[in-house]
Amino acid sequence: MTRKILRNVGVPILSFVLLLLVWQWVVVGFHVASYIAPRPRQAFLAVTQNWSALWPLILGTIRETVYGFFVGAALGLGLGVIMAKVPVLQRIVYPVLVLSQAVPIIALAAPLVLILGFSVTPKVVIVAWIVFFPVTVNVLDGLTHVDKDLLNLARVYGASRWRTFIHIEIPATATPLFSGLKIGATYAVTGAIIGELAASDGASLALYQEHANANLNTAAVYGTTMVMTAIGITWFLLVVGVEVFATPWQRRTVARRWRRR
Amino acid sequence: MTLLELRDVAKTFGDTIALSPTSLAIAEGSFVAIVGPSGCGKSTMFNVIAGLLTPDGGDVLVKGERVNGTTGHVGYMLQKDLLVPWRTVEDNITMAKRLTGRVSAADREEARAVARQYGLGDFLRHYPTALSGGMRQRVAFMRTLVTHQTLLLLDEPFGALDAQTRLEMQQWLLQVWRDTGRTVLFITHDVDESIFLSDRVIVMSPRPGRVVADFANPLPRPRTVDTLIEPAFIDLKTKVMRLLHREDA
Repeated sequence: MTRKILRNVGVPILSFVLLLLVWQWVVVGFHVASYIAPRPRQAFLAVTQNWSALWPLILGTIRETVYGFFVGAALGLGLGVIMAKVPVLQRIVYPVLVLSQAVPIIALAAPLVLILGFSVTPKVVIVAWIVFFPVTVNVLDGLTHVDKDLLNLARVYGASRWRTFIHIEIPATATPLFSGLKIGATYAVTGAIIGELAASDGASLALYQEHANANLNTAAVYGTTMVMTAIGITWFLLVVGVEVFATPWQRRTVARRWRRR
Repeated sequence: MTLLELRDVAKTFGDTIALSPTSLAIAEGSFVAIVGPSGCGKSTMFNVIAGLLTPDGGDVLVKGERVNGTTGHVGYMLQKDLLVPWRTVEDNITMAKRLTGRVSAADREEARAVARQYGLGDFLRHYPTALSGGMRQRVAFMRTLVTHQTLLLLDEPFGALDAQTRLEMQQWLLQVWRDTGRTVLFITHDVDESIFLSDRVIVMSPRPGRVVADFANPLPRPRTVDTLIEPAFIDLKTKVMRLLHREDA
């Protein structure tokens, strides 16, 4: 158990430290000018010293990421289920969904601002636009590959379609669903930042970075990137955490004590 | 008393006659084995009886009632155990109830009692991935038992097990059958198994799928490993084997 924790937590931390070391080594070793790339410490300080200004912007980005993720996840799940259940709809809707992903997301931002203005909404839409697709594809795939014999068994018992869906098809799709959610989680923050770049009139993390860049404050530029990445990673880890909690059978041989039905 | 009756039941898939008109009566409490090579229509017959397939002709009657194309009147078990990995052993046993209504405290208690009685009491909270093939099939059979269906359809339930485990499972099945008094219809392509278990051996043959013989099994119960070398066993086995082999020639 301790070994497992060490491997699952220790190794990623180690590779992160390694990354910082490489960064440090490249900047120092190649005498990179500080306006091109700061040392990790400088980038880190650029964040902590301006924390009070950054924190509300971070919260804003988190809000866009999380709202967009939930909208996208719900939409993705819904579309996946509907397409799996109504094959005709699948043939009609699926090409449109693929098309939606071919649209360069940055080109989508401008019309969204025209339609929705500078509020939080266009950012949420962009995040959802990115997140729903892997969820839909995975859910659709999961639902269409549920063991036919298992579905027949439910029929033999006289189960209704609804109960079969709830007790067989949905749990059988848990693994692909979480795969889709994890892919979506990694991209969600990217969507939020693109949205902020294209559709911010006031303060936002993306504009803060642009501002720092315009002022040749390279440390802040790198620092902001680190913050954005941290938001993405944190959200991804939270989704992984939910998966671990929601699918105990993938790791355990015996159910938890308090888990009744 | 006749529990299950087939009257000229037939099923065709495209140009293939999967099951030519077949009539059959199964007495309540009996253990009937159906043996035949693949493609002889035994699984088609099962699916028609279970209601997964609607027959093209004829009638399926359970306790005198016509059940063509309807489900919910049999217990059903396949070679694949079909345990769901996200439920514990206990929750897998109560699966039928969960799919058709509410799992009551009494249902849970019954599942636990059955599992304890048949040696899986220590595994109630385990997920199925932790179990061996034989244990999984036992759980699958318990899941079938607690549906309280009088008629159990078992389609090669031990087909994927190794010989040793299979023999254990066969003896275990006979014990459960004796304890519970259910009616069992057991599909297999293993002649030894069909004779060892049953009161009656029905032999089927392919192209078109049909019943070619219906033997009463004279072997006394309880059956033990010694049963497998009794003259009556060999005698019946010879008859069945000749029928199956004639088809190959």
